[in-house]
Amino acid sequence: MGVEPWERGVLAKPEMQLVVDPLEAGIDDHIYFSKEASSGGRGFGGGGCGCN
Amino acid sequence: MGATDGGREPGSGQFVQRLAAATCSLLGIGSTVPVLAQEEPTWALDTSFLYYGESDERVQDLSLNVLARRLFADDKVLSFGLVYDSLTGASPSGAIPLNEVQTFTRPSGNDVYTVQPGELPLDDTFLDTRYALTATWQQPLGRLYTGSVGLSFSTEYDYTHAGLNFGITRDFNKRNTTLSLGAAIARDEIDPEGGAPLPLAPMGNIGDLSARRPGTEDKDVVDLLIGVTQVVNEHLLVQVNYSLSDSSGYLNDPYKILTVVDPATGEGIARVPAPGTAGPLHEYRFESRPDQRTKHSLFVQGKYYMGGKVLDVSWRYMTDDWEIDSHTLEAKLRWPLGDRGWVEPHLRFYTQTEAEFYRPSLPVGELPEFASADYRLAPFDAWTAGLKYGFRTASGNEAGIRLEYYRQDGSVPDGLLIGNQDGDALSPELDAVILTVSYGFDL
Repeated sequence: MGVEPWERGVLAKPEMQLVVDPLEAGIDDHIYFSKEASSGGRGFGGGGCGCN
Repeated sequence: MGATDGGREPGSGQFVQRLAAATCSLLGIGSTVPVLAQEEPTWALDTSFLYYGESDERVQDLSLNVLARRLFADDKVLSFGLVYDSLTGASPSGAIPLNEVQTFTRPSGNDVYTVQPGELPLDDTFLDTRYALTATWQQPLGRLYTGSVGLSFSTEYDYTHAGLNFGITRDFNKRNTTLSLGAAIARDEIDPEGGAPLPLAPMGNIGDLSARRPGTEDKDVVDLLIGVTQVVNEHLLVQVNYSLSDSSGYLNDPYKILTVVDPATGEGIARVPAPGTAGPLHEYRFESRPDQRTKHSLFVQGKYYMGGKVLDVSWRYMTDDWEIDSHTLEAKLRWPLGDRGWVEPHLRFYTQTEAEFYRPSLPVGELPEFASADYRLAPFDAWTAGLKYGFRTASGNEAGIRLEYYRQDGSVPDGLLIGNQDGDALSPELDAVILTVSYGFDL
């Protein structure tokens, strides 16, 4: 399991990062935090709002 | 701005890897790629506009989001995030539809509003502006460690949040394995309109704030996270996270209520406001939640590269001591279009069980220690389906537009229904449109 350093060409592509778009991930976390009973998992639980 | 070391050309590995590390740091998770040296500091700015709109005149949000990351020599990264939300619309109060006109005292205690027979009671005074700020510093600690420290702050009309977070990652096994540890603490203050209602206190007439506790309430949140990211082969990357979140303090929603009903028929209990004043025409009580909640989450994500296309799948299981269990399944497929564009269909499925103290209504004479009719604590399923189109401009900047549809669908379990109540009628469905337009560039 694993690769050598010179085999990382694909893994280094922007679209292969675990979080490609941090703003979009933050927006989605905030929406679902506001509407569902679960949050976090990928990172911290989020929150910091009295969302209705 | 350019396509050199600091540019956004695909495969400009150093830039991507440093941003990836900074991104993961912001989200409290580890990165599998090392941060590499940078000749001169640059700013990378991501901007996004969000429209979130629910059907039936419920919540509407217009939001502006900015993430600015300054990349220094010696692999240090400073990040700032700014979010501005403008919220309007109405939100279900927790009260159930009745066959008669319903009148409610507004949270301020200064006025009443009326809901027609058969309609779901929504509180239409919901209007808020929210600002959120984050700042994060990340740097290598020796050859194999990366550390980060961050601050978060947000404020809105009746709510203030302040938090601090830390993270550390260590690479193993030729950097094919990364162990991440994170911790966050937060103190939130809630200053409800009209004061915090006493738990299960009856809704009073205009001007009657005797069952309110003036001043602010607070809540402390501690989050811990441990994760492992593993490079499986040249095309496959897997991450597994376990996280623990502990909240204590004021966990009620001060604006949520329950309808008091006849235990035989499930119908509302009529009430006559005091002479010379206006007030509720039926009996309602404010909700009451425990002052402590512990959540455990397991999150697994895989990214797989298939000849230019990238499949991103994840699953999250959450369980807590309010007896809510949830599963979230998500998949995205990024499909290249031409030299500089791509599309990405997105599907998400979410399902949760109800909190042990969830109940859509309260039989008259019964006063349990905890009770809430908040639809977010009810059992429901939710679907999201969406499509994103993104492209890289000639100058190397990235633009994207994403349209998604979100639907929540629930039904109150038979065991929680009283008398003639209909489970479907008591579960407010939710339909929402999510539109984001994004643009990223370097300075």
